[in-house]
Amino acid sequence: MNAVQLTAAVIGALLAGTILLLVRRTHLHGSYALWWFAVAGAILVLGVFPPAIDWLGHVTGIHYPPVIPIIIGIGMILVRLLTMDIGRSRNERQLRRLTQKLAILEQELAQLRRDKPRKFSGKGAKVIPMPKSGDG
Amino acid sequence: MRVYNWIFAVPDYAANLLTIIPARNEAATVGEIVRRVRAAVGGDVLVVNDASDDETSAQASNAGATVLDLPLRLGAWGAAQTGLRYARRNRYAVALTLDADGQHHPEELPRLVSAWLASGANVAIGTYPQRLSKAKRLAARYFHLITGIGVQDFTSGLRVYDRRAIRALAAREASLLDYQDLGVLMLLRSHGLKLAEVPTPMSQRRNGGSRVFSSWPTVLRYMLHTSVLCFAQIGAVRSGTRA
Repeated sequence: MNAVQLTAAVIGALLAGTILLLVRRTHLHGSYALWWFAVAGAILVLGVFPPAIDWLGHVTGIHYPPVIPIIIGIGMILVRLLTMDIGRSRNERQLRRLTQKLAILEQELAQLRRDKPRKFSGKGAKVIPMPKSGDG
Repeated sequence: MRVYNWIFAVPDYAANLLTIIPARNEAATVGEIVRRVRAAVGGDVLVVNDASDDETSAQASNAGATVLDLPLRLGAWGAAQTGLRYARRNRYAVALTLDADGQHHPEELPRLVSAWLASGANVAIGTYPQRLSKAKRLAARYFHLITGIGVQDFTSGLRVYDRRAIRALAAREASLLDYQDLGVLMLLRSHGLKLAEVPTPMSQRRNGGSRVFSSWPTVLRYMLHTSVLCFAQIGAVRSGTRA
């Protein structure tokens, strides 16, 4: 194993380890974790087995195989950026609609409280026993 | 005859009409506007407070309006859409929208509604072509060219919507629009709804010109943003039932 292979292997292993840790601590959502695992796997494979790059160059007709990891890398970054913006747009839409719904429900709640003030005083409310221990 | 004539034929027609006033930091004028709307139109008045820093909410409430307080700033369209969602939720048949800064005169609303009824359109936009700047006229001509929508003052917030338009605009697909302008109009058209433009006297804005057409970088950004939106919508417009 030469220096380049070792570097790639270390980077891949570190990335995979970090991702595992992040998923374990619930800092990374499931589908994102899958993506980053694939990235870590690709770095490991291409770094540890350089013939894979030459094989890819042969298959794709790229005569200068060393650019392949760069092309794949940039391509993956572009795809990731696009999916991120799609996700951000979805989040923005949901945030806006939630904000609107919150304002509408708040007004309805205030109206209800004004109309029937005693009903919401808490007197005579039935206490629903909650389980003492749970799994979440 | 007109579908909506019954609204005005029955004595409590006002129960079916909601006037929506989006407001951000308009404490100085919103109370007076609410009172004038109640006097001129009757019906319920809803002020959507777009996360104001001042007393907009209290002023509107004191003047007799129902107030929705948005916890985050959503912009003029986001606030107007909140009102339309409220209208849909509470089954209003007609929604009027006007700005809270006093540029639209509540006394003109009955005339606008009559013109809307006479036009047979689903949506009427109250516009005042005389006050438009050269840049805005040029923009209107350009957008007319690429979208086929010939509304002169396409950013005007003085509008009347019927039930179908309320339903179309309260939907999720209208939530990512950033301005109350061509995006909204194109969405209405893709639903096969008809637009009418009604000349209506207005005042100049208290704080000078239009917010969108304030400085060149803003105009450029707005034009690019809206152009992309227009081009992206061309297919959608064709596939819809064209009005």
